Amino acid sequence: MTTQLAVVFRTFAFILAALLLCALIFAAVGLSATETLQGVIEGALFRPRALDHVLRWALPLLITSVGVVICFRAGFFNIGAQGQFYMGAIAAAFAAEALRGTSPLVAVPLCLAAGMAGGALWALWPALLRVRAGADEVITTMMGNFIAALALVHVTSGPLKDPSGSGQATSSRPIDAAHRISETTGTSPVILATAVLVVLLGWWLTRRTAFGILSGLAGRNPSMVAWQGARVESIAISAFLFSGGLAGLAGSIELLGPNGRLASGFLPTHGFTAILIGLVSSLSVLATVVVALFFGALASAALYLPIVAGLPAAAIEIINASIALFITARADAVRGVLSRWRSRWKT
Amino acid sequence: MEDLIVAFLRSGTPIVYVALAGVIAQRAGVWNLGLEGLMIVGACATIVTIRLTGSLPLALAVAVLLCCALSALLWFVVEILKANQIIAGLGITGLGLGGTALALTAIFGSEAAVNAPFGLPRIGPAFGAFGGLSVLVALMPVLVFGTWLVLCRTRFGLRLSACGEHPFAARAIGVSPTLMRLWALLLGAPFCALAGAELAAGSLQMFSVNMTSGRGFMGFAAVIFGAGHPVGAALAAFFFAFAGALGIRAQLLYGDRVPSALLLALPYLATVAGLWLSARLGRRSTASGPNELGRL
Amino acid sequence: MAGPQPAGASAPALDAGNVTVRYGSFTALEGVSARFEPGLIHAIVGQNGAGKTTFARVAAGLVAPAQGDVLIFGEKVPPGDVLSARAAGVELVHQSFALPPSFTVAEVLQFVSPRRGIFSRKAIERHWQSWLNDIGIDLKADARIQDLPVESQQSAEIARAMVSDARLLILDEPTAVLAPEGIERLFARVRGLKARGVTVFLVLHKIREVLAVADTVTVLRGGRLVTGPVATVGLEPSALSGLIIGDSAGTIDAADRAALTGEGETTHASSTPPARRPGWAGALRIRRATVPGGPYGHGLHGVDLDVDEAEIVGIAGVEGNGQRDLVAAIAGLAPLTAGEIEIGAQRFARQGLAARRKAGLRIIPFERNVEGLSLTSSLWENWCAARLVGRSLFSPAGPRALRRDADAAFQAWDVRYRSPDQPAGSLSGGNAQKVILAREIDAEARLIVAAQPTRGLDIGATAAVWNALRGARDRGAGVLIISSDLDELFDICDKVVVLASGRSVGSFTPPYDIRAVGDAMIAAGGHGQEDLAP
Repeated sequence: MTTQLAVVFRTFAFILAALLLCALIFAAVGLSATETLQGVIEGALFRPRALDHVLRWALPLLITSVGVVICFRAGFFNIGAQGQFYMGAIAAAFAAEALRGTSPLVAVPLCLAAGMAGGALWALWPALLRVRAGADEVITTMMGNFIAALALVHVTSGPLKDPSGSGQATSSRPIDAAHRISETTGTSPVILATAVLVVLLGWWLTRRTAFGILSGLAGRNPSMVAWQGARVESIAISAFLFSGGLAGLAGSIELLGPNGRLASGFLPTHGFTAILIGLVSSLSVLATVVVALFFGALASAALYLPIVAGLPAAAIEIINASIALFITARADAVRGVLSRWRSRWKT
Repeated sequence: MEDLIVAFLRSGTPIVYVALAGVIAQRAGVWNLGLEGLMIVGACATIVTIRLTGSLPLALAVAVLLCCALSALLWFVVEILKANQIIAGLGITGLGLGGTALALTAIFGSEAAVNAPFGLPRIGPAFGAFGGLSVLVALMPVLVFGTWLVLCRTRFGLRLSACGEHPFAARAIGVSPTLMRLWALLLGAPFCALAGAELAAGSLQMFSVNMTSGRGFMGFAAVIFGAGHPVGAALAAFFFAFAGALGIRAQLLYGDRVPSALLLALPYLATVAGLWLSARLGRRSTASGPNELGRL
Repeated sequence: MAGPQPAGASAPALDAGNVTVRYGSFTALEGVSARFEPGLIHAIVGQNGAGKTTFARVAAGLVAPAQGDVLIFGEKVPPGDVLSARAAGVELVHQSFALPPSFTVAEVLQFVSPRRGIFSRKAIERHWQSWLNDIGIDLKADARIQDLPVESQQSAEIARAMVSDARLLILDEPTAVLAPEGIERLFARVRGLKARGVTVFLVLHKIREVLAVADTVTVLRGGRLVTGPVATVGLEPSALSGLIIGDSAGTIDAADRAALTGEGETTHASSTPPARRPGWAGALRIRRATVPGGPYGHGLHGVDLDVDEAEIVGIAGVEGNGQRDLVAAIAGLAPLTAGEIEIGAQRFARQGLAARRKAGLRIIPFERNVEGLSLTSSLWENWCAARLVGRSLFSPAGPRALRRDADAAFQAWDVRYRSPDQPAGSLSGGNAQKVILAREIDAEARLIVAAQPTRGLDIGATAAVWNALRGARDRGAGVLIISSDLDELFDICDKVVVLASGRSVGSFTPPYDIRAVGDAMIAAGGHGQEDLAP
């Protein structure tokens, strides 16, 4: 219990350090740190239907981040959540287009399944490259993000193009209104239930199965697990597939839910934020619930900032990036630094 | 043909510069995924400073200084606070991408692209079709050679490489790997600044948000593909750029038949292919790989 | 401590005053004070964990003591400062060599030398080749470290130390990696250095070696100075081994004790194996096994090997002669390109380790802290991995039951621990190895492959591992031990097979003849590549 408390304390300490860095950056470009903070808090918590807005962002992020946790626990830096999210949305959009006019009871589960399949497939090739050839997954998944973003441009300007649309930002035709699982702003019981299911499944998978224990060991020391005779390849590929599948699920939820259509370059920071949520949660599935709410609140504030406080939305990107910078720092390292400084002053 | 080569040199040079920074860092034992962020800060600082002060030397100085500051921050977080190199590097990239967007809004009131009245000097009409290329393109082979000379043919370079390959060997003779990595990152920072400057002020004289679009990561991939060797990394960078130039070319020729978005994906596909190939060839560089998630 | 003394020939080469070193809560050295005369060969002995390496590193400035100070030839050296220590003339040759594997010998020497500026590869190769010839070290300046056999790597490391004209050369366990004949060559070189006025410190393991080469001996135990430096002339081996072992001397079998401290020549296995029983078909049968050289080193070239039930077979050889390939091949982690492997009369070709485990294979891998345990994972997770790999990946696994079973197993194996949730990295080496034994040795074990099972363990833990393996043998399991310590093999093995350059070049039975085995080790040019694990 004490070690868990220490982890929570450490996490808060490093987030505080990150926020200090943000304040410095804001000051450097001439923004008031206090005003920004005020704007963020107001935007996240004190606007009409604030909870709805927070959940709207938090739930899809939560789903993706559970996948991130599963993959990172197994020792694979799947940075490709964004691309897998896009591919899920694209697959779901094709499914929705094909199922136009059918009953939502049929169409919605099929679209979600298509989304999961799309995301999982987009995670499969980096997994195979990693396991079979040893190609580093950080860069392959990263490149996968760029390719998926271009695929999204292609789909929204080609096969699924909305003929009535104009301008540079292309988008697809809106999906069948009957297939929507939430309105444009807000969330719905379907999305909430899916997220709860995903969290429970993720918890069971990581804590109560052979896969969970072995993948956790493999993440910390793959060679030990190999010498125990575990099927390292199956573990790796399963981890990637779960990760991609959940990111794809989040993509299809965004499509059927708040967005209602594909737009090129939509939610460009979803994957990175989900990775952050996983890291801030110290790769614990249950902790992602709380952390996703925090980042959901930040995302919700990001839209509010330019409207109300006249602040750029990039401020939120800075906050996220600073947290990424510090979140994996080690508490014992900090203690070491402090004691080194202390002893230097003594002599 | 000539304009294909020009396009190729133009798109390849920034990646070569950023790859050189990656090589220096990797040899010292830092897998620098912040290259993308450093590069965009270099690009933004160059254009914005030219626009505001009208001085190119000042612009380059600001770009270099900012890149050095961010590199030092990365060093502090990775080496002193012992944060994970990959995540911290991505954090630096995020800071660069977000910070430049924020700077544009703070200075010009919106995130719209910013133009500069002039850019880097060109090599001049004496070189015909190549005259439009910036001096940094011409300087590139010199710097690749210089980096090779310093890394592979000086005692400093040997000591730097030892820090990445076998840090204990360095410690055993009294060289501090921690400090050496700071020097490596600070040595690489100007290359990142130049990469950004070449990208934004080499031919375009314009900066827009997210304009690096993965070139920093390609530079990183070039380090792996090039087995941590300056010349190898430069060749790898050009391989990626070649795919890009080919894509643009194909877009002009067959744009009506082949989806242009997919042609634009060629450099990314080339990067993946490069990684696959280098893994296949077993040319894993001698330093420990970037995967060290174990202790998260 | 007396005030600073004038520097000069009469000042002690090394004068340690009340040196205390702590790593976190662990005290590696406590209040060690000793003076060492210049111009002599000083041996430092003790069990693993006695603080020998720490003492060497304090002298070389690699480790800063929490208390106390070190005078080199009468000069005080700032604590934990390698550059000052090197300037004062101290050089340390490390046990696991500190040379970047991709460097050439010339680059290594250039890298430590004070020569700055841009060089050409040819020029430094020429310069350092002539320097090597001058100091009489037989090395090619253009050879890459990773391609050198172990003994040459050690020479390169010694050459590295000599670049800066060391006056005080410390060699940390230099004999551990050498064949008997290589040890003699090393000692000849050390005597040569002494003749040139260099003071040499040898961190050693075996009393035999101490008496063969050193002028004085110093004994450390549990981080404290037991005695020394005392002259080796007229010293009784048994008295020295008593000092090294300490209080537990009485509990260890006399033959084991001799093997543990290298008191004399170990020749004979301590017990006779039980007679064959009907139904036994052999624990391990390897025929013409061939593995290409690769990440594990040399490869195997047509190796034949038999381990019967209730038999302990040892694999002797200089490190890097195919031992790792052999273990990987038995485990199914390195596929055979030719030949066959049978474990418990069951043939295995492409099946993985999980299937082989089901047939009764158990492995104690080479690297305890890498391949054996996940140091950052809890003890129970480390323990239960072996049980989970046989199940389907998505079968439920209740942590509570696994934790309870692990707890029971650790109790039975007398592991000293606080809780099964504690990370494996918080255990001492001996306890960590017991966790592995608790995992790998069970009633179903038919073949136990133990790779360097006692490396780095103190004497009590080593004896415990030997007894565990003997116990498994007496219950009918076949045991295959890979070790670079001939005393260990001779003491516990019923048969010793020598591996050189990936070939089995000889099979020996008790009484063992160290000369014959040593000759076999190097007969086939069995120098081997070092696996440069940092």
